[in-house]
Amino acid sequence: MTFTLFDNEERMAGRAEAALRDLDFGSDEARAAYSELLDAYRKSLREQRRMMRLGDRLQEQLSTVNQELVRRRAEAERALQQLRDAQDSLIQAEKLASLGGLVAGIAHEINTPIGITVTAASILADQVAGLRRQFQAGTLARSDFEEFMTTADEASRLVLSNANRAVMLIQSFKQVAVDQTTADRRVFELKPYLSEVLTSLSPRLRRAGHRVVVECDEGLEVDGYPGALFQVLTNLVMNALQHAFEAGKTGTIRIRARLFDADTVELRFTDDGNGIAAADQGRIFDPFFTTKRGAGGSGLGLHIVFNLIVGTLNGSIAVQSQPGEGTTFIIGFPRVAPARPVAV
Amino acid sequence: MNIHDISRAPTDRSPEIQFDPDACSLSISGASFPEDGAAFYGPVLSTLDEILKALDQRCVTVRIALNYFNSSSAKALMNLFLMLDDAAQAGNQVIVNWFHAADDDTMKEFGEEFAEDVRFVRFNVIPTAVTS
Ligand SMILES: Nc1ncnc2c1ncn2[C@@H]1O[C@H](COP(=O)(O)OP(=O)(O)O)[C@@H](O)[C@H]1O
Ligand SMILES: [Mg+2]
Repeated sequence: MTFTLFDNEERMAGRAEAALRDLDFGSDEARAAYSELLDAYRKSLREQRRMMRLGDRLQEQLSTVNQELVRRRAEAERALQQLRDAQDSLIQAEKLASLGGLVAGIAHEINTPIGITVTAASILADQVAGLRRQFQAGTLARSDFEEFMTTADEASRLVLSNANRAVMLIQSFKQVAVDQTTADRRVFELKPYLSEVLTSLSPRLRRAGHRVVVECDEGLEVDGYPGALFQVLTNLVMNALQHAFEAGKTGTIRIRARLFDADTVELRFTDDGNGIAAADQGRIFDPFFTTKRGAGGSGLGLHIVFNLIVGTLNGSIAVQSQPGEGTTFIIGFPRVAPARPVAV
Repeated sequence: MNIHDISRAPTDRSPEIQFDPDACSLSISGASFPEDGAAFYGPVLSTLDEILKALDQRCVTVRIALNYFNSSSAKALMNLFLMLDDAAQAGNQVIVNWFHAADDDTMKEFGEEFAEDVRFVRFNVIPTAVTS
């Protein structure tokens, strides 16, 4: 016989049944009462077994539910981690995209002077060939030579000025591109740096007809991370283009930088465009907050700006905006960056 | 392992059982909600019953330190205490120490109820410091 947890009770009931069989109860009433009691005991025993099984089953279900909860929680945590990773890689992608934008801008900007140079040089080559033919045939008239000289003058002037312009553009892009791709710290003068950055961004601005004004204290030297500053300005300019100015309308972007106090640089970036709704102002730095979802917005631009200012530059950023009147981003950061930047 | 060895290593769902036949001391600790209560406690209780019945004028100490048990384990415990009560009535000195976390009122009340169900066993209900 296998063991049951109710061995005792079964034995008791068995003894009581034997007694009912074997003992003399004296009266039929006494026997009936005893038999009734035994029945009730049997019932109660069955009830106990049932309750025990029920209790165990409830406990079992509860622990299953608990395990399920633990499992789901782990799953949710895993999903969250995946989301975080995805967010990181999207931020990386946005940074790369702005690098791509920079390259496209440079290509576009340099294309014009190079194109003019090529045209002028080929005109010059044609003219020289024609002149040589006339000279060898002995048909070169004075007037032909004079005409040639005028054209040659004009062509060489164009070649020279456009080649110079290309050299200058490449120079200014070079520093920016180096800064863009490195997290290196160096000492740089702010005003020329701002002009270089704006030059690299100006093709897009000019195409849309916007005006850019840079005002900066002369001789203000910053010891920090020009790459981060470049990225910040790029993102702010792109946002102004995308969000502040309606297509077809022109506006003004004003960048004002000054020494706020002995150790702090203040940079104000202002546009006179659409402005930002009051309700949105607290959320624009959140990752993925965008009012242009499905229309080219990733919602990461200002998040990156925030991370760079607060993380890399150890500074702060705030926004002031009146809908319809424009937006100002007020950025403050130490003129001399602290020893180790927070990795972003 | 001899067949009288009723010690058990703890698992997620069943308690650690330690029995020292020389000192006549038994300890049950951990959590108890085995898949099949009768299968887990059955052999332990029937072996223990034999051991207890063979005792004469001995001192038996039992330590129960469970933080959780299910219904069939509760029934098994009741059976254990009745067995111990029989052994105590037969002339052995039996002490049960029921440990419960100081902040666990349910476990405390279970202990107090079991204490009422035995007549010859000395049954102590003892709070322990809460660890977490
Ligand atoms: N200069 C601005 N003028 C008006 N709104 C702006 C400006 N800059 C940012 N915003 C608002 O902030 C939101 C978040 O900007 P951002 O993080 O760069 O994401 P995205 O440009 O991809 O939408 C934009 O969707 C826009 O609503
Ligand atoms: Mg943006």
